[in-house]
Amino acid sequence: MAELAWLVPVLPLASFLFISLAGHTVKGDGDRIGVAAVGASLLLSLAILIDVIGGARVAADMVWAFFGSIQLRMGYQVDPFTATMLVMVTLISFLVHIYSLGYMHGDVRYKRYYAILSLFTASMLGLVLADNFLLLFIFWELIGLCSFLLIGHWYEKQDVGYAAMKAFLTTRVGDVGMFIGIMLIFFHARTFQFDGVAQAVAAGDFAGAALAVAAVLIFAGAIGKSAQFPLHVWLPDAMAGPTSVSALIHAATLVAAGVYLVARAYGIFAPSPTALTTVAWVGGITAIFAASIALVMEDIKKVLAYSTVSQLGFMMVALGVGGYTAGIFHLLTHAVFKALLFLASGSVIHGVDTQNMHEMGGLYKKMPITFWTWAIGSGALAGIYPLAGFWSKDEILLAAHEGGYTALFWILVIAAVFTAFYITRATILTFFGKPRDKKRFDRAHESPATMTVPLIVLAALAVVLGFANSPHTGWWFSHFVYFDHPHEAAASPFVLFWATASWVVGVGAAILVYGLGVISRRAVIDNLRPVWVLLKNKYYFDELYHLVFVRGTVAISRIVGWFDRVVIDGIVNLVGYGAAKLSRATGEFDLDVIDGAVNGIAVLVRSGGAVLRRLQTGYVQSYVLALFVTVVVGLLVFAFGG
Amino acid sequence: MTVTDWVFLAVAAVTLFSAYRVVVSRKIMHAALWLGLTFFGVAGIFLLLGADFLAAAQVLVYVGAVTTIIIFGIMLSTPEELRGPSSDAGSDADSPAAPTRRSFLPLLTAIGFAAVMVALVNRGEWPSPPGSVATDTPRLLGEALFTRFVIPFEVASVVLLVALVGAIALALKEESGQ
Amino acid sequence: MTLSLSVVLAVSALMFGLGVYGALTQRNAIRVLMCIELVLNSVNINLVAFSRYVGPDQALGQVFTVFVMTVAAAEAAVGLAIILMVARRKAHIDIDQINLLKW
Repeated sequence: MAELAWLVPVLPLASFLFISLAGHTVKGDGDRIGVAAVGASLLLSLAILIDVIGGARVAADMVWAFFGSIQLRMGYQVDPFTATMLVMVTLISFLVHIYSLGYMHGDVRYKRYYAILSLFTASMLGLVLADNFLLLFIFWELIGLCSFLLIGHWYEKQDVGYAAMKAFLTTRVGDVGMFIGIMLIFFHARTFQFDGVAQAVAAGDFAGAALAVAAVLIFAGAIGKSAQFPLHVWLPDAMAGPTSVSALIHAATLVAAGVYLVARAYGIFAPSPTALTTVAWVGGITAIFAASIALVMEDIKKVLAYSTVSQLGFMMVALGVGGYTAGIFHLLTHAVFKALLFLASGSVIHGVDTQNMHEMGGLYKKMPITFWTWAIGSGALAGIYPLAGFWSKDEILLAAHEGGYTALFWILVIAAVFTAFYITRATILTFFGKPRDKKRFDRAHESPATMTVPLIVLAALAVVLGFANSPHTGWWFSHFVYFDHPHEAAASPFVLFWATASWVVGVGAAILVYGLGVISRRAVIDNLRPVWVLLKNKYYFDELYHLVFVRGTVAISRIVGWFDRVVIDGIVNLVGYGAAKLSRATGEFDLDVIDGAVNGIAVLVRSGGAVLRRLQTGYVQSYVLALFVTVVVGLLVFAFGG
Repeated sequence: MTVTDWVFLAVAAVTLFSAYRVVVSRKIMHAALWLGLTFFGVAGIFLLLGADFLAAAQVLVYVGAVTTIIIFGIMLSTPEELRGPSSDAGSDADSPAAPTRRSFLPLLTAIGFAAVMVALVNRGEWPSPPGSVATDTPRLLGEALFTRFVIPFEVASVVLLVALVGAIALALKEESGQ
Repeated sequence: MTLSLSVVLAVSALMFGLGVYGALTQRNAIRVLMCIELVLNSVNINLVAFSRYVGPDQALGQVFTVFVMTVAAAEAAVGLAIILMVARRKAHIDIDQINLLKW
């Protein structure tokens, strides 16, 4: 089956083409075709995974283009990491496809939604299958495009359009670095293939500072896509899109692409301590920083968004400290339980029609399935035994501890306390207490089966998935996906104690403050007012970026515009004015003789000024003229320059 | 210098002259007809260079289709459209239009380009023409197009199709809009 | 034929220059289009000439000429359609008056 891996992305791609071109000809705008295509991909991926567990490995490629002696290849590879990612992506995508049947029912752009959802799935699967950096980069940009389109799904609202643009532009900042990094790798390793690059590194052809710089630049792309500090600002705003999209793209798959990239390119990170330390510290800062913001958010989706940023930071730390398997395992479990949380929050939003948690409350009676699945998801996020998050987070803490990163270890423990606190707070505010908005509470209802069934499936997975890498299965996952050689961390009671203590403290504190009201929220806020204000404003990052980049760009344009208006035009006018004065003076002096010459100068000056002014005229012919002047000059240089 | 050489030079001269007339003719219809002659000349050059299939294609595509389309375009337009509301009378020095017209740069650019190219071509060392020429160019072309270049060929077909559909759509939309 | 390749190339270069000059100076959009056809034709001469002198048994240059012809035909069709659209909207096709590309 593994040889059929190329079919996995092709099916959703076909469904994208069908829905976008002929979706309106079938019932339901082709939504069921999207579901069927992704479902088929899921079955195929499962078959491939079983094959790969049985030892199958596939790598196939073909020549794509020649440039002289350089050849570009494109192809796919299936190894344990790819196979697990395929199953993860198709599974979540399939569930989100089903969920959307209910969630997006009756939407104005239902067809467009399903078409792009299919395209996204195809691109993400292509990214996971790609066997070289260039192909990966193409799919990388494609998922960015789909993310842009889906965030901006309700583009009539102005801030939705801005959020989409912000997401696109912010990730683009990292992509530029990543592209330079890819070119740097190509320059040194003479190939884009992952295995070829790894060989070049192993052979010592590609080492030292160049390797470290390339790795850090590649990591810049991951920072953008995985919303790491300091490019995290786009992810919370991306919550303007439909919640189902947030679950698929901004929790499970697209944002995981950055982690995937670092793991896939681990061959160039591993030999460079600088690169690894950078990854670890960026991840660590992101983890605690985003978790602290999530403590005070009022919008349920914003809490989850910052939580996602923070959890991606955990994964980066794992990769940075050498816990390759731990990072990937957390990527998988997080995808499951965070998609679950998002879909559950979507179900709540569907019921009460608000995202503000202060307008919810007491919903557990009205939405029992949503509540129980949410509870499992938040338990997994907090890291409660034996749910999935417990096993994966424990592994990350263990990796940090083993790697000797003491400071990072404690940062992660505090971030874990925060995590348990904010998710418990969200649970209590949403589902417990008295209904704070009577009208919304009365119309709240449990969601239809298309929405609850995916929740139940994900909740079941969130319970069992963690055991794949636990002592009960002999750390099976560690022996399945690994870098270089399987690494089985020795269990550490010290780490286990702190991992457990962190969620006990976090959950306990949240219950004391929000559930039982033993500690007054007012008192806490009043005592920590400066901190609270800082967190409420998300450390003022948006304001800072606005000031530096947006205002900065505007200011620079102003200066350039002023320069153009005053200096350039001034010079042109001055020369013209001087020439006119001169011609008048000389004209009086000797009208007949010099007249022609002066006019000539004036014409010259004028056409010179005209050329300067007309650089941006809008006349096609001016542009063509400029083009050909350049060609002629270039030819002259080429022919006679040496 | 063989007879073929003289024929070639004559055809080239006709081609260049008619190309020159395309650029300088005052009447657009004349320019279009001169363009047709230029295309014929190019077909002749192709023939003399041993590309008989291309010569036929040149006559069919350019003389038969492109020139006809252009003439149709001219004939479907009203004189006002062709001339424009402000003909020579309105083109004052202070009108924002005519960015390249009164400037000597286009002429300089074109002459400069041609001169540099001719100089370069003369400096180069070129292979002498091989005595034997493949006589079955259609077969060669067909083999190349459907084996080695089959994907570019298909892409070109799609481009052509899209262009035709697009041209029709562009022309139709306005009709229904009115 | 015993003429040197440079003669053919020179013919092509001169025709290219004529086409460029026309494309840069004509006011009428249809005439600009005609001049672009001249440029494309001169390129074709170049390709065929090299095909004849360098690799006559492969006809690779001729293959490219076929592609250029295809694109040129597409360009003529779409270009004229656009010009007709502009003519209907603005009642003229004077490209000095068409400067929508301006910032």
